[in-house]
Amino acid sequence: MAYEIAVDVGGTFTDLVIKSDAGMVKGVKSPTTPGNIIDGTINAVARAAEALGLSLREVMGDCRKFAFGTTTATNAVLEGKGARTGLLCTRGHRDVLLIREGGKDDTYNVEVDYPGPYIPRRLTVEIDERIDAEGGVVKPLDEAQARRAIRELLDRKVDAIAVALIWSVANSVHEERLAALIEEMAPGLPYSLSHKVSPSIREYRRTSATALDASLKPIVNEAVRTLSGRLAAEGFKGVLTLVTSSGGQTSPQDVQAKPIYLCFSGPSAAPESGRRFARLENIEGGNIVTVDMGGTSFDVSIVTGWEIPTHRDGVIAGHSFGVPSVEVLTIGAGGGSLARVDAGGFVHTGPESAGSRPGPACYGRGGIRATVTDANVVRGYLNPETFAAGTMTLDAEAARTVLRRDVAEPLGVEIDEAAELVCVTCDQSMVGAIEEITIKRGIDPREYVMVAGGAAAGLHAVAIARELDIAEVIVPRFAGVLSAFGILTSNVQNQYGRSVFTRSDAFDFDAVNRNLAELKAEAEAYLARMGVEGQRRCLEFTAEARYQGQVWQLTLPLQTDRFADAGDVAAMVEDFHRLHERLYNVRSAADVVEIIEINVKAIGLVPEITLSQSERGNGEPRPSGGRSAFFRDAGRIENVPVYQGEALRAGHVVEGPALIEEPLTAIVVPPGAVATVSEYGNYRIRT
Amino acid sequence: MLTANDTDTSEELDLFTMVVLRRRFEAIIREMVNALFKSGRSGVLNTAMDFSCSLTDADFRSVSVALGLPVHVGAIELIPMAVKEKFGEAIRPGDCFVNNSAYHGNTHCGDFTLCVPVFMDDELVFYCIARAHFGDMGFPTPTTYGPDCRDVYQEGLKLPCLRIQRDYQDVTEVTDICRANIRSPEQFYGDYLACLAAVRTGEKRLKELCGKYGRDVVLGFLRKYQDYAETMCVEAIRKLPASSISRTVRYDSMLADYLDGIPLTAKLTIEPDAGEIHVDLTDNVDNLPLGINMSESTVLATCRMNVLGQLGSDIPRCAGSFKRVKVKMREGSAIGKPKFPAATSSATTHLCHLLGSHIQALFAELIDGTGSAYGTIGLPGSSSVVSGDDFRYDGRRFVNQVIMGYWGGPALARHDGWLTYGSVSSQGILWQSSVEVVEQQQPILVEALSIREDGGGAGRHQGAPGAYCVFASRDNPVTFSLGAAARQFPPLGVRGGEAGAATQVSMRRKDGSEIELPSTGDVVIQPGEALVSHGPGGGGYGSPLERDPARVLRDYREGWISRSRLEETYGVVLTGQDGIDTVDAPATAARRKEMGAA
Repeated sequence: MAYEIAVDVGGTFTDLVIKSDAGMVKGVKSPTTPGNIIDGTINAVARAAEALGLSLREVMGDCRKFAFGTTTATNAVLEGKGARTGLLCTRGHRDVLLIREGGKDDTYNVEVDYPGPYIPRRLTVEIDERIDAEGGVVKPLDEAQARRAIRELLDRKVDAIAVALIWSVANSVHEERLAALIEEMAPGLPYSLSHKVSPSIREYRRTSATALDASLKPIVNEAVRTLSGRLAAEGFKGVLTLVTSSGGQTSPQDVQAKPIYLCFSGPSAAPESGRRFARLENIEGGNIVTVDMGGTSFDVSIVTGWEIPTHRDGVIAGHSFGVPSVEVLTIGAGGGSLARVDAGGFVHTGPESAGSRPGPACYGRGGIRATVTDANVVRGYLNPETFAAGTMTLDAEAARTVLRRDVAEPLGVEIDEAAELVCVTCDQSMVGAIEEITIKRGIDPREYVMVAGGAAAGLHAVAIARELDIAEVIVPRFAGVLSAFGILTSNVQNQYGRSVFTRSDAFDFDAVNRNLAELKAEAEAYLARMGVEGQRRCLEFTAEARYQGQVWQLTLPLQTDRFADAGDVAAMVEDFHRLHERLYNVRSAADVVEIIEINVKAIGLVPEITLSQSERGNGEPRPSGGRSAFFRDAGRIENVPVYQGEALRAGHVVEGPALIEEPLTAIVVPPGAVATVSEYGNYRIRT
Repeated sequence: MLTANDTDTSEELDLFTMVVLRRRFEAIIREMVNALFKSGRSGVLNTAMDFSCSLTDADFRSVSVALGLPVHVGAIELIPMAVKEKFGEAIRPGDCFVNNSAYHGNTHCGDFTLCVPVFMDDELVFYCIARAHFGDMGFPTPTTYGPDCRDVYQEGLKLPCLRIQRDYQDVTEVTDICRANIRSPEQFYGDYLACLAAVRTGEKRLKELCGKYGRDVVLGFLRKYQDYAETMCVEAIRKLPASSISRTVRYDSMLADYLDGIPLTAKLTIEPDAGEIHVDLTDNVDNLPLGINMSESTVLATCRMNVLGQLGSDIPRCAGSFKRVKVKMREGSAIGKPKFPAATSSATTHLCHLLGSHIQALFAELIDGTGSAYGTIGLPGSSSVVSGDDFRYDGRRFVNQVIMGYWGGPALARHDGWLTYGSVSSQGILWQSSVEVVEQQQPILVEALSIREDGGGAGRHQGAPGAYCVFASRDNPVTFSLGAAARQFPPLGVRGGEAGAATQVSMRRKDGSEIELPSTGDVVIQPGEALVSHGPGGGGYGSPLERDPARVLRDYREGWISRSRLEETYGVVLTGQDGIDTVDAPATAARRKEMGAA
């Protein structure tokens, strides 16, 4: 029997999904081992093997593909643990990483320090050279000075060098020359060139991406080496892939060459998961909001018309990383979010969190302030005896005490109402996050289906959906390991790009066609290297285009990989007008369209996954008991039926009010909502 | 206070609805902002985000969220008030009114403000407002600031609260006048449509909101929300000591009457028992023959926003909290209500920057731990309006404001200055232009853009430095319309902190020599020449001798300050081993003691 394994290493848990050729799919969770994510990963595989009645070695030996989502890069940036990196920049522009782009998250909050540059000024050295906006050489590279600059960085013991010059995207000759000098003076030292890492204009984004990329190279090289070595040692002989920021998977060699693409690896696969479950459930239109709610954070992403939109505005720890990534919006809202009442009588939750240590008061680990989880205990939504698969007993009285003191008494309301207010406030923060990601794209969330994963999502999903007028929520069978499931089912994918400046009224056929041909060859070679068969290969060409005079580009899908004549250009222009009109409601029919970049996405399609069908239930489902729970519109209801998820079968219908208990989550079906177990064991809830 | 015991019986409004509606209003304003940002054509809109959206109820009570520029949103109610006063019962659904007149409640003529009434069941219940800084307003020279304008007749097109749409259709007489007066009429019309998209989006969403929750519930929410904001504001003021302070500061001047600078005086009085803070500006100079006169809108907004800035970020900036900030101003004063035909085109910048900083500084002087030093004043040479013909595109005309090196945030009690501050009117919200985008849009070369060493005012916390920036012309001449200040009077420090470095603007000639330029006016830079700008730094907070020596060393190693500033201003003594500097703690303490005594 051959297996495929997908792993998502998170901060607290390592999630794993394993699939066999026979159609068996199983998910497990295992604690992440801090400082050494590989032990946690192997533990997770061992746990899965045990569940299949096999040994670790047997599973590893039969594993054909191991897809890995890792926070290695994300955490290195978040914790400031990237390699000591030097930056070579254009004379006069030493402060690109300090200046950034302006703007401030919260205008009114003055209690913040201005963020420092990713690479300090003392490791930033200016080079005598200058290219202009048209690619002309204003000042040739001064080689003697460049050598001195590189020497200076080497003397300061840098472990990597980032090279980011103004207008290197218009003419890369100086960056190329600096690369040659680095190779000559410090053979083997990792370096990154900005026109290669992120071939797009705006010096801050490109420099930041290059700085991150260079600083990650030593770390990612080491991590990949350790991972492949350890997997081999456990008997793995298959193909290892890593999940990138765009949610696809690619080879370790590609990631080592451009480790920046490892940012957000893991969470980037969540929308893929939402898409797969929606497909399984035959949702029409393919418009999906995927949410993932855990203890400290709430992630939102969208799929529109079965497409997963990517953007280039990705930011990690305040640093722009510039390369295309799946847009996942994260806010600080989760079970651990702390609740407080302000002087005017409004309740606030988060972004401060009690985390998992000390955690909510009901954990009994020293948490002394009211949290959202405490409020859910008071509402009666969580079973204190079976929390987290029974690994923990919750102290309901502690939850009541802190909630009474922190919320009910200051407001002069009953404790049930206080708990509800805390949860409604938290729900509203999550609603706000969903609106932000949808409104920004001109999307109406009412046309979307919500796929909810994460330990806390089942408690809040229906309430959030109702607020947004979303009619259906799917809580998948694999809700607890949402991203890992997305990793298992994600496509092989890599992106290649070129800067090309041209405009529709003076179209440079030669340059465009030459670059398209090169990109095509590069993409084909990649897919061949990844072992993707011909009929599963897919190339998507796009241009970064805009009306002349605009400063922001749109990503325009190209219908051709070769522009033969003026007719092809006219078709491209018309496509741009349509795209602009769709997004902004206006077209400027008389305006010239400029292209500044051409990209290709090389995709190796993964076959549709089929889950084994769940056994059909006979007759009505039977509750395992009843509990008293509070609902905003209905008030407190005694003896709300409680169902055990493991006992429910396909076709079973659970009408609200009801509580469904799963090992790692609980699903609240409020009065008026109806949950149906689908043939694949997913919950489909009409809100 | 919003509690269940609240006895407001006019409508039933539970706490849940309050939570939900608060979020709904935030979402509506966010959606208005998004509509404007996405469709704006000029750089000040789609890059710098120099615009704001807000709304009021029929009684002009404002609601805003932390998305707009403080100077834009702090007195937005004056706009619908002008509409009501002028059009009264003639206001109809489908109307839209335009206003850029400081004599009709607008900020300054560069801000193009649209306002639409929102009707429910034939009754006017809300106004939606969008205000955007346009790249051009038909001035004699291509700028929208004009600090040297003598009176309104030098300030281009005036739109004194006019109906620009009726029945959701353009009143073409008005749009045609705009097109005929404003440079690059296509860009103007595109930006107008962007503003229109914002207010119409707000109108639609407010109607949906009233449809879903009921008009009375929504209006009841707004009333309670104002009470909430007022309570929050009062509670914060009650924690402050009863106190009062009056100080005068000066602003650069070339006027014969004010060769020692233009005085600006403000009296700040905190009355914790009454839960009020008073700002008295009546003791100020008469209107000047310059565009820097403030407007009623910018005086009010600057006072309200900078007072509330000291009270906490969680207090909603709306009518309820504004009620507790009492501002007294005089008609005919440069720091007050302008008297026709005084020019006000620079009412959101120059003196406005000084007034906003001054209010924060008065707090700092009254209560250690609050307020800030003075931030950047005027526009640095690097944030000029640039214009000319572009040799790369057959001489195509261009006009654009570059927002570059608009830095110099003031030091605060617990933090160093915010670098990309963009003045007290924006407080960090403005986006800074990208070097590459600027070079692509204009035929200029940005030779340098970096922080000025020793540019920030020294102090326990240090002001942010200004920018050193050099713009070289390429193959054709480029005009820079300058609006600088803080040359004679740089941004001051507070509580013993030092002033930031003063502004410098000069021209580098072909032979490499530099000549100083006046702070304001147009300058043409020929090929081979360059504009050299040193922007002002923010002032410091507290004595430099109290600054953590480790931070001083870090600033030195990072090139923010020189060795001499480390030693002579900060009194830090270094000791070196293996070429690595470390702080000599005992020697530093001794030196600081000596300096403190001197």
